[in-house]
Amino acid sequence: MNKSFYKTIKPTAVFLSWFFVVSIIAFGSSSFSQEEEGQVKIDGKSLFKSKCSSCHQPHKDGTGPKLFGAKNKWEENAMEGSIYLWVNNWQAAAAKDPYAQSVSELKPSAMNPFPELSKAQIDAILDWVDEQPVPTKSNDSLANAGPGGEEEEESGNSLIWILLGVSFIVIILSVGGVRRQLSISLKEKEGTGDGKDKLTYTQELKALAWKYRLQTGLISLVVVLSIIVYLFQTLYGIGVVEGYQPSQPIAFPHSVHAGKNGIDCKYCHNSVMKSKTAGIPTVNVCMNCHKQIQGEDEAKKEISKIYNAAGFDPTSLYSPGKGQPIVWNKVHSLPDHVYFNHSQHVVVGGIDCKQCHGDMTKMTETAKVWPVKELNEIEGNIKLTKPTLTMGWCIECHDKKEVSKGSLDTKKDGYYDEIHRRLLNNDKELYKKYLKDNKVSVKELGGWECGKCHY
Amino acid sequence: MEITKKYWKSLDELNETKAFLESKEEEFPKGMSTEEFLSEETSESSSTNRRDFLKFLGFSVAAATVAACEAPVIKAVPYLNKPENVTPGMPTWYASTYYDGATYTNILVKTREGRPIHIKGNKDFGFTKGNTTPPVIASVLGLYDSSRIQKPTIKGKQSKWSNIDTSLKVAIENSKTVTLLSGSIISPSTSKAIEDFNASLKRQGKALNHIQYDAVSYNAIRKANLENFGVELIPDYDFSKAKTIISFGADFLSTWLFATQFQHQYGYSRNPDKDWMSKHFQFESNHSITGSNADYRAMIKPSEEQAVLEYILHSFDSNVAKPKLNSAIKNIADKAINSLIETKNESLIVSGSNNKSIQLLVNKLNNSLSTYGTTIFTGNQIHLFKGDDKKTNDLIDSIISGNGSDLIIFQGVNPVYTHPKGRDLAKALKKRKNTVCFSMHMDETASNCEIVCAESHSLEVWNDHNPKTGHYSISQPTIRPIYDTSNFLECLLIWSGNIQERDGKNSRNGYNYIKNNWTKNLTTKNNWNMAIHNSCINIEDEKEEGVSDFIDVRQISKVKKGNGTTEVIFYQKTGIGSGTQAGNPWLQELPDPMSKVTWDNYFTMNPYEMKAKGYATTFDQENGLNLATLTVGKNKITLPVYPLPGQTKGTVGVALGYGRGGNGEKIGKAAFQTKEYGGYVLGKNNKPKPIGQNVFPLIKNIDGCNQYSTIGSLVRSDEKYLIASTQIHSTVMGRHSIVRETTLGIYKKEKRDAYNPKHTLQKLDKHGNHVEAPISEFDLWDAHPVENIGHRWGMAIDLNACFGCGACLIACQSENNIPVVGKDEVRRGREMHWIRIDRYFSSDEEAAIGTKKDKDNFNLSDAEIASLNPKVVHMPMMCQHCNHAPCETVCPVAATTHSNEGLNQMTYNRCIGTRYCANNCPYKVRRFNWFNYPSYKKFTEVNPAQDDIGRMVLNPDVTVRTRGVMEKCSFCVQEIQAAKLVAKKEGRAIKDGDVDCACASSCPADAISFGDWNDKNSLIRKDSVDQRSYQALEEVGVKPNVWYKTKVRNEENKDLAKLQKSKHHGAANHHDAKKNTH
Repeated sequence: MNKSFYKTIKPTAVFLSWFFVVSIIAFGSSSFSQEEEGQVKIDGKSLFKSKCSSCHQPHKDGTGPKLFGAKNKWEENAMEGSIYLWVNNWQAAAAKDPYAQSVSELKPSAMNPFPELSKAQIDAILDWVDEQPVPTKSNDSLANAGPGGEEEEESGNSLIWILLGVSFIVIILSVGGVRRQLSISLKEKEGTGDGKDKLTYTQELKALAWKYRLQTGLISLVVVLSIIVYLFQTLYGIGVVEGYQPSQPIAFPHSVHAGKNGIDCKYCHNSVMKSKTAGIPTVNVCMNCHKQIQGEDEAKKEISKIYNAAGFDPTSLYSPGKGQPIVWNKVHSLPDHVYFNHSQHVVVGGIDCKQCHGDMTKMTETAKVWPVKELNEIEGNIKLTKPTLTMGWCIECHDKKEVSKGSLDTKKDGYYDEIHRRLLNNDKELYKKYLKDNKVSVKELGGWECGKCHY
Repeated sequence: MEITKKYWKSLDELNETKAFLESKEEEFPKGMSTEEFLSEETSESSSTNRRDFLKFLGFSVAAATVAACEAPVIKAVPYLNKPENVTPGMPTWYASTYYDGATYTNILVKTREGRPIHIKGNKDFGFTKGNTTPPVIASVLGLYDSSRIQKPTIKGKQSKWSNIDTSLKVAIENSKTVTLLSGSIISPSTSKAIEDFNASLKRQGKALNHIQYDAVSYNAIRKANLENFGVELIPDYDFSKAKTIISFGADFLSTWLFATQFQHQYGYSRNPDKDWMSKHFQFESNHSITGSNADYRAMIKPSEEQAVLEYILHSFDSNVAKPKLNSAIKNIADKAINSLIETKNESLIVSGSNNKSIQLLVNKLNNSLSTYGTTIFTGNQIHLFKGDDKKTNDLIDSIISGNGSDLIIFQGVNPVYTHPKGRDLAKALKKRKNTVCFSMHMDETASNCEIVCAESHSLEVWNDHNPKTGHYSISQPTIRPIYDTSNFLECLLIWSGNIQERDGKNSRNGYNYIKNNWTKNLTTKNNWNMAIHNSCINIEDEKEEGVSDFIDVRQISKVKKGNGTTEVIFYQKTGIGSGTQAGNPWLQELPDPMSKVTWDNYFTMNPYEMKAKGYATTFDQENGLNLATLTVGKNKITLPVYPLPGQTKGTVGVALGYGRGGNGEKIGKAAFQTKEYGGYVLGKNNKPKPIGQNVFPLIKNIDGCNQYSTIGSLVRSDEKYLIASTQIHSTVMGRHSIVRETTLGIYKKEKRDAYNPKHTLQKLDKHGNHVEAPISEFDLWDAHPVENIGHRWGMAIDLNACFGCGACLIACQSENNIPVVGKDEVRRGREMHWIRIDRYFSSDEEAAIGTKKDKDNFNLSDAEIASLNPKVVHMPMMCQHCNHAPCETVCPVAATTHSNEGLNQMTYNRCIGTRYCANNCPYKVRRFNWFNYPSYKKFTEVNPAQDDIGRMVLNPDVTVRTRGVMEKCSFCVQEIQAAKLVAKKEGRAIKDGDVDCACASSCPADAISFGDWNDKNSLIRKDSVDQRSYQALEEVGVKPNVWYKTKVRNEENKDLAKLQKSKHHGAANHHDAKKNTH
């Protein structure tokens, strides 16, 4: 349309920006984060993680409001000590303090009470939160994906790198300016220049780029490639939900039920053998045990939520009310266009729950999507590389998992026996090819075909 | 003759409104070259230049990406108290019964998490043997209709049931007589409750007058039998024992009397591999589904029916004078007589006429052949259609004149719409007090009544039925009532003081009453549970045969012919019927089996006659058909005229059941005409314009019976009207390899080569000689390793059994979440049905379909013209799951691939919508999602998936496709996977019959078999190597996994016999076929 469009591609800017991007890629991802904590100091970070992080984030509103600066706000607006009361029992605080009352109206969801937290612990949490630097935008999307704080610390690091980058630019520009002025005055002194051939920054840079065209070309290639790689990595990360751990209405500890009490997974998730869904336990299943087990302290509060749901009165052991269904937040969600059947994997495939869901007997917090690294550490699991709940992860397992091992002598009337028999009788070559690794994998029987899961 | 063609897409265009003219101008932007555009000064100075545009673009892409990163929080709400027999994620099936006042059948209802989502016939129990019709399957959608009445109303205001009960009590107290006008009641418990109600009224010194009324009446059969047997009865017919079937306009495969019973009986008699095959003669005016399956079909006018009957009767009863017939009819009548003489009492004559004289003649003929006792059973009676036209007419006359009972209750009827005097009735009802109506919709009758009792859907309530002597069945609720609705039985029990309190949504009142009734009279306590499990029981009932008394034919009065030029026949379409489900978009979009027209009502006329009278006989996306006005008495009806080959000259057919909701009654969103971009077309009264016109007002009553034919005059108009049809060509155009047919004689005598030759190609043998080799030896690609290893899913369709009803299409729509696209899109050829039923008429250029009369002078353009009275083949066509699928090789993203089980898979998420696959498909079975049907405003009125309640009918195991992806028949892969999983879990191999596609399981003719071809004992394997089996377009070499079985007609066809006897005919013909397809 006009020439200025082409003019505006300034080599300076390009050069600086790639330098900047490369430096972020190179250093941004490496971990510089080792928190140094005093031995006597209460660990605000771990407290925050275990108690608050399912609803709150330091800098972003989630299920609960952001906690950064909360301490100051309460000190300014609320009654003294009101914040501790709030954390211990927000309803009591809201009844007493008008500010607390206004805070309680911020979010529709009610906060869990934490009566076990001491003043010192609450202070430690809030202090830790206030120490957290504001995350930069470039890392925002990554930080959201995970529940942890590591990413946020990294973003603190990249802030330093940004500052460094900016100062580099300033230095380069000023040095360049000085050099330019010097060379101009030198030329003037020598009498060779008459001011007309004064080069602009752009022209100068162009000349420079032309002079070192090989290097410029190579560097640009590297930059373009790294941008492409980075872009692809980012795109591949979309929809990956490893580590997803939503808040839950009841702080249900699997470690107590499946671990300490040794209840079989299938007792509560009882449609896992029958249906495509494993089934979130219905309240009547909870009540089978909790009619008797009413719990103490913390547990009592959580169990009382089941009573509310069931419309059950624990003192009279009578269900007078209608009850209210419990609304859980789904942890493992596959997209609608994927058909996944639990019974296929558990009954037919003989896959243990922990292959995909991790060792829930040790899960003290609410359920989460276990990252593949943690899954691989579990004994007996097939080792996989792709992120949990991605298609790559599914089909990787379909490649490794055998349907059944070979010889036909033991074959009887089962479904797969017939399939093996048809292979053996009609296409021995193919069967031999399949058996090269001593197994017929799910993939070889069609487990990699689109239409097996997408319809 | 001067013809000024005028095509119009909307009323706006027709009337040339100002808004239309303005928008017409703006429809196309002024032409402007790129240079001009760029050099324009305004673009220089405009605030948005190219760089800004790129910035915005980049930003919006980035924003969209960031937004996509955040995973939505999905809620999961488990049951509080899980019902014992519900497993989330698994279907639960209930045996139940369908009865809508006209159609009765035993059904199975599939529910998921407590929602009914699919209906199919119950093949294991009940005499209907799993037969269904499209309205039965589609009724599940009616359950989730948000336009249903959600609460009872009094004087148009929503109310409570307790208020209804008190109002009714007051109304009863204030009245002397109570009239109940109901549909045919076949429920023993409801009948008993009506008796109880009557008794309670008697105690109060009042009287109940109960009249039953059918929208489409079969009164003449009852009246004729009253005369012949002394009892008003409809006898039971058995088509499976009839070796000669003669039908006078009775569409017994689709809508006549008890089609769900006759379908499989007829199918049984039509198997050419048995010892005998029935010979079917059809004398009719409209080209009906039944007529299209007849071996011999004669075109008669309704006024000629009596003459033809007398002509045939003359051969068996010398008392009858022999009338004169025209030669074409006489020819077929003579053949029918010969056949009757041969088969004697193993014959069956039926007539669809509602004229007593005709029915008396039919009885007489049946009696002369002694078919009573072999194919007709007066002791076994059909209890459907108890309506009494005369009593109903008297009642309606008395209401119109302002007399009659003080309290009138309507139940299961809609006389304002279905009665000829409906308009006057509406006016009279409006003035009246104490009118009560039971209805699911605020329909034509309900909206004129004072008290409207919101009725539950039949899938929400308990009910029982006694459709036939000795047969009892139960309907059970498969879901709690969605709205605050009740049912007739519970209301009767309350009003007669039988029970004191309503039970809300628990339905226990009806259950207790029915159970009590059954355990007392029909079952013991134990087999009550069994009765519910099976949905039906058989009991030896007392049989009342009646004493036969056949009067002399000479006493039978002659049917009088009225004045006019055009005889009109009123018929019911297989989908819409009498209009009770007019708001059901599945049924509106179901192509009519004969015309393939959707979303419309029209006159059917023979194209030969249309040409002579100057009507347009071809139509397409942009070119419509002529409108014409039919005048019968004072009534005028304007509809387009559709060219239907086989319609008797001088007659037109027009379907009942259209034109509902003319005053904007809320009868369902899909019952009205929609505009091109959504919203309704408005009529003159500023209310949504109904689809088609109501022709019930044209019906006349003769001898106390409503007549479904009349006479009037039809005047053509030059105005044209756009029609949405899924098939606009008529014949198979000489493509031999698509459809194959033969006659029974040839089939029995000749070898396969004669009627079903295999395709061959020439190849060089070892010695360098040219030899013929079967097509399967030629391969362009490596074979997929599906033969003999793993599974190979295949389907076989018997063209001889398929009669084209369309049940498979609706079942597929229900099972596979197929969107409804509306008339405008169907007109553009964008219907989404995964299965279509191609209907091919024969042409005079061919002796029979696919066999050319004169090979050398074969004229393709002549071949497209269907015969005056053509033979018909119905051919279901869906994805053929080719092992060498042409679609797979052209997909640039491998979205459609072949599975190791022989399935042609479609992966929606990979599809980028190039549509190469659809272009490369020789069967044209791929469907493209042009729009986002579940959300785009154009489809709000038609697509149930856009409605929060309507969405509940979707099958959760099948993805709802979005815009821009291709889809097609998947062989119900979700059912295959489910069946495999069951086998795996049970540790056994797949058995034949484990997998049932929606189409195969819904087929009333059992025409479709499906299974694992690699299982050597499977039905499909046997069908695929059957003498009659061939593959459509086999010579293309795509190796389909679908086989068709040649159609066999029980007729004499000399031309065909000549062609099909020569041994080398197959090869010769093949070359022709090749020429035609390239």
